[in-house]
Amino acid sequence: MSETTWLEVSLTTGGELAEAVAEVMSRFAPNGVAIESTQDAVDAEGDSKHFVGPLRTSCYLPVDDRLEDTRGRLEEALWYLGRIHPLPSLQFRSVKDADWAEAWKEHYHPIPVGRRLIIVPAWLKVPGGERIPIRMDPGMAFGTGTHPSTQLCLEMIEDVGGLNIIDIGCGSGILSVAALKLGAKKALCVDIDPIAVRSACENAVLNGVAERMEVGMGSITEIQSGNFTIKQARLVFANILAPVLIRLLSEGVGELVTNGGRLILAGIISDQVDEVEHAACRSGLRVETRRQLGDWVALCAVPC
Amino acid sequence: MAKKIKAVVRLQISAGKANPAPPIGPALAGHGINLMAFCKEYNARTSSRMGDIIPAEITIYHDGSFSFILKTPPASVLLKKAAGIEKGSSNPPREKVGTVTRSQVREIAELKMKDLNAIDIEGAMRQIEGTARNMGLDVVE
Repeated sequence: MSETTWLEVSLTTGGELAEAVAEVMSRFAPNGVAIESTQDAVDAEGDSKHFVGPLRTSCYLPVDDRLEDTRGRLEEALWYLGRIHPLPSLQFRSVKDADWAEAWKEHYHPIPVGRRLIIVPAWLKVPGGERIPIRMDPGMAFGTGTHPSTQLCLEMIEDVGGLNIIDIGCGSGILSVAALKLGAKKALCVDIDPIAVRSACENAVLNGVAERMEVGMGSITEIQSGNFTIKQARLVFANILAPVLIRLLSEGVGELVTNGGRLILAGIISDQVDEVEHAACRSGLRVETRRQLGDWVALCAVPC
Repeated sequence: MAKKIKAVVRLQISAGKANPAPPIGPALAGHGINLMAFCKEYNARTSSRMGDIIPAEITIYHDGSFSFILKTPPASVLLKKAAGIEKGSSNPPREKVGTVTRSQVREIAELKMKDLNAIDIEGAMRQIEGTARNMGLDVVE
């Protein structure tokens, strides 16, 4: 498969003109535009006045059959803008997907989570110590372990010995891998994103838990239809986003929890938590625990 | 003590649809930002405003952490809505694509006041009028 390549088009201007340049660029780059302050370090006092100095406005055009045409029209539109305010020359640079998809890994380090776990990037050596290592290669799937909502979930699943679990919207599979390494019996991970399914499978192998971790495409309907070996579990978790959690609650995610079991709901911004709690109550669940880290909240609910 | 800032990046992207593709990937990955963490948080904060362009201003610190705030939609987007046009002029000095009234400009300036480097509403209106002219929009009474 050929790698996607992009043409980065950028222009450095004063602050007010950056908006006009961004407007022109956005016509040709519907994914969006980036504007970056070119001034080096500034002290963070307050939060609204650091965007100063000349600004570099960039957009990215896919390198395909239409590139020359798109580039020509973009240059023409900016030339006309330049007749109102003189503009410097455009800068062009070729960017491969891999260039940026890999770049952030250099900044990803082992992260201790809760009392017993440490998340270790797949490309680093496991450090010594008593913590149980979770090896992760998140690829492009959600769930690197650095996000507060993932950390909240990991702290809430430390007592899973001998349980079956279901992980809805599993992303990289980090929660299931952790649960299995903490002694859970078996995990079912589902996601509607094929990239996530592939990433979860790879992370299961990387951590030696693939035999106990079933991974597949789907959501509640597929589980209830018997597409997988587990239909219900003592521990069910969904670390997604509030609107999706509310929908899952209305679709019966609570019915996947066996009597005496728990449902962990995470990925909730604090000002959305009441709405999720109400949806849980409407679905016959009682919220037992609420934990917060920064702006993020995780709920533990039980069947009434 | 205040944290030392490494960079400030503003992304003008669609609410609820952030993903690691450009412009987000190349703009943030080089600064060591965890792309998935940013996308998840941005989508969570903007999912109720799908269809709008909601800029995010991301402050990246030297210790590898980041924070971001959501800004008001770009003036150009608000002006296009006010004028009822799809896009700005490809030749703004000669080809005018529509008009906006002074009162529409004032409304936009009031909405965007907190994000503009303007001392008063008149200064903010002048900035919005400048953006309008750059898009091929005439400002009328």
